[in-house]
Amino acid sequence: MLDRRALSKAYFTKEKIAQHHIESFNEFLERGLQKVIDEQKRIETDIPDTYVELGKIYVGNPTVVEADGLEAPIYPNEARLRNLTYKSFLYLEMAIIQNDEEIDRKVANIGQLPIMVKSKKCNLYGLSDEELIEKGEDPTDPGGYFIINGSERVLMTLEDLAPNKIFVEYEERYGDKIEVAKVFSQRRGYRALVVVERNKNSILEVSFPSVNKVNYVTLVRALGLEYDQEIVESVSDDPEIVKFMLENLEEAEVETTEEAIDEIGKKVAAGQAKEYRRKRALYVLDKYLLPHLGDEEEDRLAKAHFLGRMAEACFELALGRRGEDDKDHYANKRLKLAGDLMEDLFRVAFSRLARDIKYQLERASMRHRELNINTAIRSDVLTERIIHPLATGNWVGGRTGVSQLLDTTDYVSTLSHLRRVISPLSRSQPHFEARDLHATQWGRICPSETPEGPNCGLVKNLAQMVELSIGLEENEVENIRRELLNLGMNPIRGGAIGWKL
Amino acid sequence: MPIPLTPKRIESIKFGILSPREIRRMSVTKIITADTYDDDGFPIEMGLMDPRLGVIDPGLRCKTCGQKAGECPGHFGHIELAAPVIHVGYAKVIKKLLESTCRKCGRLNLREEEKKRFLEQIRTRKEMDLPYDDIINRVFKEAKKEKVCVHCGEEQKEIILEKPTTFYEGEHRLTPTDVRERLERIPDDDLEVIGMDPENARPEWMVLTVLPVPPVTMRPSITLESGQRSEDDLTHKLVDIIRINQRFQENREAGAPQLIIEDLWELLQYHVTTYLDNEVSGVPPARHRSGRPLKTLAQRLKGKEGRFRGSLSGKRVNFSARTVISPDPCLRISEVGVPLEVAKELTVPIYVTPRNIDECREYVRRGPDNHPGANYVKRPDGRRVKITENNKEELAEMLAPGWIVERQLKDGDIVLFNRQPSLHRMSIMAHEVRVLPYKTFRLNPTVCPPYNADFDGDEMNLHVPQTEEARAEARILMHIQENILSPRFGGPIIGGIHDYITGLYLLTRKNILFSEEETMELVRNLDLRALPDPCEIKNGRRYWSGKQIFSLTLPKELNLRYQAEICRGCEICKEENCEYDAFVVIKDGELICGTIDEKGIGAFKGKILDAIVKKFGSEVASKFLDDVTRLAIRSIMHFGFSFGIDDEDIPREARRQIADVIKKAEERVARLIEAYVNGELEPLPGRTIEETVELKIMQELAKARDMAGEIAGRYLGPDNSAVVMAVSGARGSMLNLTQMAACVGQQSVRGERINRGYHGRTLPHFKIGDLGARARGFVSRSYKDGLSPTEFFFHAIGGREGLVDTAVRTSQSGYLQRRLINALQDLEVKYDGTVRDARGTIVQFVYGEDGIDPARSDYGKSINVKEIVSEILGEGGDGK
Repeated sequence: MLDRRALSKAYFTKEKIAQHHIESFNEFLERGLQKVIDEQKRIETDIPDTYVELGKIYVGNPTVVEADGLEAPIYPNEARLRNLTYKSFLYLEMAIIQNDEEIDRKVANIGQLPIMVKSKKCNLYGLSDEELIEKGEDPTDPGGYFIINGSERVLMTLEDLAPNKIFVEYEERYGDKIEVAKVFSQRRGYRALVVVERNKNSILEVSFPSVNKVNYVTLVRALGLEYDQEIVESVSDDPEIVKFMLENLEEAEVETTEEAIDEIGKKVAAGQAKEYRRKRALYVLDKYLLPHLGDEEEDRLAKAHFLGRMAEACFELALGRRGEDDKDHYANKRLKLAGDLMEDLFRVAFSRLARDIKYQLERASMRHRELNINTAIRSDVLTERIIHPLATGNWVGGRTGVSQLLDTTDYVSTLSHLRRVISPLSRSQPHFEARDLHATQWGRICPSETPEGPNCGLVKNLAQMVELSIGLEENEVENIRRELLNLGMNPIRGGAIGWKL
Repeated sequence: MPIPLTPKRIESIKFGILSPREIRRMSVTKIITADTYDDDGFPIEMGLMDPRLGVIDPGLRCKTCGQKAGECPGHFGHIELAAPVIHVGYAKVIKKLLESTCRKCGRLNLREEEKKRFLEQIRTRKEMDLPYDDIINRVFKEAKKEKVCVHCGEEQKEIILEKPTTFYEGEHRLTPTDVRERLERIPDDDLEVIGMDPENARPEWMVLTVLPVPPVTMRPSITLESGQRSEDDLTHKLVDIIRINQRFQENREAGAPQLIIEDLWELLQYHVTTYLDNEVSGVPPARHRSGRPLKTLAQRLKGKEGRFRGSLSGKRVNFSARTVISPDPCLRISEVGVPLEVAKELTVPIYVTPRNIDECREYVRRGPDNHPGANYVKRPDGRRVKITENNKEELAEMLAPGWIVERQLKDGDIVLFNRQPSLHRMSIMAHEVRVLPYKTFRLNPTVCPPYNADFDGDEMNLHVPQTEEARAEARILMHIQENILSPRFGGPIIGGIHDYITGLYLLTRKNILFSEEETMELVRNLDLRALPDPCEIKNGRRYWSGKQIFSLTLPKELNLRYQAEICRGCEICKEENCEYDAFVVIKDGELICGTIDEKGIGAFKGKILDAIVKKFGSEVASKFLDDVTRLAIRSIMHFGFSFGIDDEDIPREARRQIADVIKKAEERVARLIEAYVNGELEPLPGRTIEETVELKIMQELAKARDMAGEIAGRYLGPDNSAVVMAVSGARGSMLNLTQMAACVGQQSVRGERINRGYHGRTLPHFKIGDLGARARGFVSRSYKDGLSPTEFFFHAIGGREGLVDTAVRTSQSGYLQRRLINALQDLEVKYDGTVRDARGTIVQFVYGEDGIDPARSDYGKSINVKEIVSEILGEGGDGK
């Protein structure tokens, strides 16, 4: 028989140990940074007809700026020994546009970004063992961590419930067992929980941020599914489910889309003028309901159909056609790696910088000074916002312990630390099921390595041969959609709907 | 000389609100300036560091009481507030009061007869010492209901409390002055109905007009290395208050516009609020210059590190030590090995008298570095002098009766030894010191069970009692030998474990004979004068049996009969003629037959131990334990005892049989599943078919594993080390052995086979819908064979559950323990035999309803009639 150990050895090399961190960070450097900038696109100001246009972002190689202002490349070991931060400058192409005229265009330094050791921008990238030794590095060091003020910090891999996926389960509501379908809809760091529940009278209700329990039919009517037939068809063509839907339609509060929007308006802007109510209701529908499907008017129909799928799941559970979803099934988990975490962090830090730039520009304009990019940027704002969470582990969104001091008790403990996966579940509650070793963890998570004590089963470690896949970029999904259409897929009425599901 | 210790009794404690008068009365000075020190570093009079408030600098004397730093407790000052402010802590009560009283006449908005009714109810409750807050809540509710004053007819308006301290009446805002005026109008008579005592807590005192300034001793300033002074957080906050107070006054006197006055008033309110509590929701916390939120009054008291939980319930102590523990079977059970370094640091105070002065001189002369020496002497005037190489001779000469010598710990001293968690009283016991080299505390392994200690890195604490009373109590109540019997179950909790049991089992098993040499070697450590007659003489050489040797440790008057741990539980007990030698008979301190095992001398179960403590007292028992453990160690060393991988070896024939058993079981399981799939299975009563098939499969597989274990056990034989340990109760079980040598068996999660995983199957290695044994976590191999990858994974699943369980259980049991202790801590058995709580209420008429001290009971039962009868009739042995 084939000696599989040879195969295993060839596959699992020392480069593989922290590869997931490094690849994820590289992804962030190459695409994530630019993505965040593109989301922002421009910085609007309160100065009439003036805004800042944002262009390409560039990352330098790690450098150190000495007290005398001299800038020199730095290697990780120097950063460790001198208690420095291993970071590079970030440069962003910016232009101030006033009255459609470009006043100032520059590639400006907007701050500094800590660089992961052995990532693409690291000065150690691609060095041979001998060269590494010359730079004061241990050639067996896997990299994958940051150096902040001289201490090595690892970003923990966070395990989360998969976003944008429908989960059905039973819930207790005043002693009644009801079926609910939940989705954590996520887009650009914004997370919204959308819940469709079937109450004891089979009436569907939907809750999402800023709206608590609105009638399902009202909601989909507001989203543009006006006719009874459309509504039923968007849920299911199964006769039993159709029966449930007919009950729902019978109980419907509204008949038309306009009425429905006003009904929602009464919920989100009670006691306001009708016109405002309508505006507010549409705003809430676009921004807070299922944000992963988009925040434009044209996405509403898609949202209605998505809600239809959630409703169907609820009824199927009620009819016993499917069981509760297993939240511990590893297919329902997503890992948030260093790159994703840095992206979250950079998004918040950059929006803070953008706000500061806006403020600085407005102040300059008030004092009738010439608008200038370099004076408007206070690069410390961004740098500080990025380094502080890395140094303390207090991430944006109130998560703590995200960055940890790399465990260097011995070599193996370092390796183990770099491959650790943390579940955000609270350690004080039992959560028996979440702590169990789930069969789907085979080949993904080590069955043996977990701490004893309160963190048992919540802190895990990647299996030796695990391979992490990365989510697709939106334009790549677009290609798939086109392919599907070519194969004869029928788009749901209303244009580009449904495909983002 | 120390202050004579005359205990004082607290008559009662009264709680109330400080009235402005009281605050001024207890104040030694009014504080008017926000400055603390002048340029020369002297405290400013009428400033926050006024010397009359107490002293913190050593060498200075308090201007109020004339005492030195450390003696003077400090004295309060006060700040006259320019305008009243609401006390945050009382905002809720104030709201209730405003709502329930008339806005004009200030009387409680209840009709006289209603008021009387409530008052009566409250008074009866008070008389019966019962809580009456529910009545008061009803009073508030009733009084709030009235929209018009029942006394003066004034229409009542709605009071809104905008958290934390702002009051509105409808739209109109109430200033603290308005609030105070209203509260003042509430007559004393109405207060009792609201549950307030007008003597000690007038409602208007909840609005502050005077602020007490705590003494400097409770807000000491620290001098940094740079010579800079750093003030306490409270001082900082008081500075803020005084500043704003002054500004407010100046502005008002200067006739500033109303808007500015209101702003300043609000600012003053903010500062007073954060001074009292810096974590009020809705108020941004006051911050230090560095951005750190200030720790103000409420923060000092609150939480785990607060005054109550951190400093009062959880004090730190001197004269204690903590280090890793390790075993030492050569120690007596009542001893603890103390490292020399620790012994040199810990001291016992000795009062010098004419009788012991020479001894004391010797200690002092030896100094701190020469082990049983002394570290300090205390002179009659209370001064403590450190003994050094230079002054030791001098001090030894000066020594006289009345001095106290702090002598280093030496052999024989009584100390308390403790291991957390201290769940029962045996978690702290008194040991005698044995000063030993190296750095760990040593203890005899027999005392591991009460402490629940092992030696995988456990640490324990040691405390040295400092007074004769404490030492006497420790000796009489807490000494190891007084705690051999556990009040938990009325049996011995200290006793043989692990190798002690194995050793004695090997010694007393069968009729093994020992030559004179061997016998001598075995009993070397026992305190013996003579050996009994040998039981056999062969070729002119004398031989003793193991049972004879064991009997040497028993008291001569001991009579006992019981079934040993190795008893197979035959239907009819053959007693003395048991073929397994499992029936123990001890007659007149002589082991006639039977094997000594866990049931004889083990902790928790040891019958012999139990009998000895109860019949002969703890002294004899302690001696017995010392002897028997030493004998056991000698015995196990004589035989030699080890366990290795080859002890799990079973012959090929056995393996074949086991494989056969498992194969058959799997076939039966397959048939069960087939029957289930075909719907031919009859459900068990009260269960679904699914549950039935699961249950039957589990039974089938458990049976298969047991059979496999039996086969393995048969082939391993009674001399196998693992079998010896399992049978004698020393360690492990036959199940452990089965898993090692024969078959690991079914892995389970929460009592069920492993079912979770992919859709319709556990692992992708199996077909969807496979319910077979192997697909659901049956491990057919043994640890020795090695598990297949899927088996290994199932085993990890099962193992994880155990791990999680232990982790969750420990935290839950800790919390349960806390709650139990909180509920039971004040219960006491009084001299009349009743159990009463702190207020004297009877909880039980007789302790435990039977008046039995469980520690003196027979495994929880009051008396063992059978034993008494046999003892009186026939002196044990054959008494029936």
